[in-house]
Amino acid sequence: MTIARLIVPSICILIGVVYLLMTISLPDARLGDADAPKYFPMMVAIFFIVMSIVYFIKEYLAHYDVSEDIKKVFKKDTLILIIATLVFSLIYTLIFERLGYLISTILFLGALLFLINKNKWITNILVSVLFSIGTWYVFTQLLAVSLP
Amino acid sequence: MDFQGLLEGFLTVMRPENILYVVFGGFLGTIVGMLPGLGPATAIAVLIPITFGMDPISALILMATIYYGAMYGGSLSSILINTPGDGSAVAATFDGYQMAKQGRAGQAIAITAIGSLIGGAFAVFGFILLAEPLASFALQFGPAEYFLLMLFTLSAVVSLSMGNIIKGFISMGIGLIISTVGIDLQSGVDRFTFDNVLLSDGIDFLVVIIGIYAVGEILYNYLTINNPIDQKTKYGKVWISKQDWNDSKWAMFRASPIGFLIGILPGAGGSIASLMSYTTEKQLSKNPEKFGKGAIEGLAAPETANNSAAVGAFVPLLTMGIPGSGTTAVMLGALIMLGVKPGPLLFENDPNVVWSLINALFFGNIFLFLINIFMVGVFVKVLDIPARVLLPIILILAFIGAYTMNYVIVDFYILLIFGIVGLIMKVLDFPIAPLILAVIVGSEMEQNFRKSIVASKGSMDIFFSSPIAITLVCLIVLSLAYPIYMSYRQKKRLKSQ
Repeated sequence: MTIARLIVPSICILIGVVYLLMTISLPDARLGDADAPKYFPMMVAIFFIVMSIVYFIKEYLAHYDVSEDIKKVFKKDTLILIIATLVFSLIYTLIFERLGYLISTILFLGALLFLINKNKWITNILVSVLFSIGTWYVFTQLLAVSLP
Repeated sequence: MDFQGLLEGFLTVMRPENILYVVFGGFLGTIVGMLPGLGPATAIAVLIPITFGMDPISALILMATIYYGAMYGGSLSSILINTPGDGSAVAATFDGYQMAKQGRAGQAIAITAIGSLIGGAFAVFGFILLAEPLASFALQFGPAEYFLLMLFTLSAVVSLSMGNIIKGFISMGIGLIISTVGIDLQSGVDRFTFDNVLLSDGIDFLVVIIGIYAVGEILYNYLTINNPIDQKTKYGKVWISKQDWNDSKWAMFRASPIGFLIGILPGAGGSIASLMSYTTEKQLSKNPEKFGKGAIEGLAAPETANNSAAVGAFVPLLTMGIPGSGTTAVMLGALIMLGVKPGPLLFENDPNVVWSLINALFFGNIFLFLINIFMVGVFVKVLDIPARVLLPIILILAFIGAYTMNYVIVDFYILLIFGIVGLIMKVLDFPIAPLILAVIVGSEMEQNFRKSIVASKGSMDIFFSSPIAITLVCLIVLSLAYPIYMSYRQKKRLKSQ
């Protein structure tokens, strides 16, 4: 279990080190102090790495089981819901400007509803169509927000 | 005191279209705030796009009432289904839900509305008295003092987030890292943009906020989506008896100043205000054993305090541009987006913004009191709509919100990345407020730091050069020492047991 608990602190340390290296390799400023753009990120990077190392040590020395929430996330049903939602969101991102707000949102909302509100065909279809048309009308016609 | 400003603000809010926004914002905020896990911060974040095209003052009025509405909504779901919308509604579950279980949901809803009205009204008067002197005081702040003030706010948010302080600082660090992405304003150097033009302007903090608060919260809700909700929607008349009033009136009058003062302090906010006033009442009570079992004063105190704190938090937000909590940070984000720059000069340059906002808070509070007393049945119907339908709808609103910030698809990727970050943080119990706060004040903090260093020709002495700066340094040290002291005391207590 200790190994599992050390994954997140290790990722934090990695992020901190990568950020520090990127800060060091930032181009110099042409005016004034050449290193001026680096000072603040440098401070943040060092602070972040130190905190991540402390976090790593604390997790290494700790003696507790993983939390309830972590167990819940890794339950098959929940994991499928999360991953499917993210995949649908990515597809929505890709089709949003191509198919336009209305069609892509009806499809996306419909897919999400069938994913988590299974077997309620009529509700799902009605909600996805009416909500998409309703928001499209409110944003584009009433609020003059342009949607593709 | 600026009576004329106050009057002008009153007249602005009384314009028909603005009254309509008060009503609309109150309804909308309440509905979003009632959804499990979604609090005022999420409500403001996902509803920002509806303010597009409005004039800034009307938009601000709408935002303020959404904020207030979401707080009322959070209390309703705490009382009726035992699921608080955010930290400041947690204390409402202790006695509120117990009251609902005993068939006294009507009284619980009524005392929440009465307490919120009293707390909110007290705090509005507190604001009127305190804001201007504080704004004039803040005019003495130079870049070094501002940098230290921001540092103090961040360290206070971390140390008071009542979780793991190290996780709080890591959360803050992530926020600061995000804030450094984009072209450096002073030197024109591209920083961490990976040569992507779309990142030159930096990562839009509102997209980060919507990602973490809305998308992260929706994904987190999946963890409990199959749990049946124990809903007690049966409630009688929404009003209280004379006995109820006698039991709770002093609790409300005590909680108002407690909430207001804690609201002003950076980092504390509604959660601590409500918990502290709950504990105070329990300690003062002749029957402390009643607390947690449906004591009406145990609900009245935290509900009064959190509303009072919500208005109190506007004092540092508007006078110095310093948000004290995640929710006020989102509010600051909304203000900046609307072209309003909070700070001491706001009172001189744009007094109508300040006073309209304060009037909107006052009248929004009265309006919400009325609809919560007379129309609570309409809102309770929202709780009947299953989360399975509402969560996808909120997700769509989050996407619309992210898109309308800059009209670029790349924001969808940022939204999803921060949705995942938000989920991971929630699951691993990382406090989110430090990240949000750091994303919003990070860039300003860096600018002030660099201005100070330039002014002092590279010397760090400037951070100890004025009494204000020295006081702030002491406060930073104290705020860091506080959690260490508390954990030492807790360990000692555990040992002695």
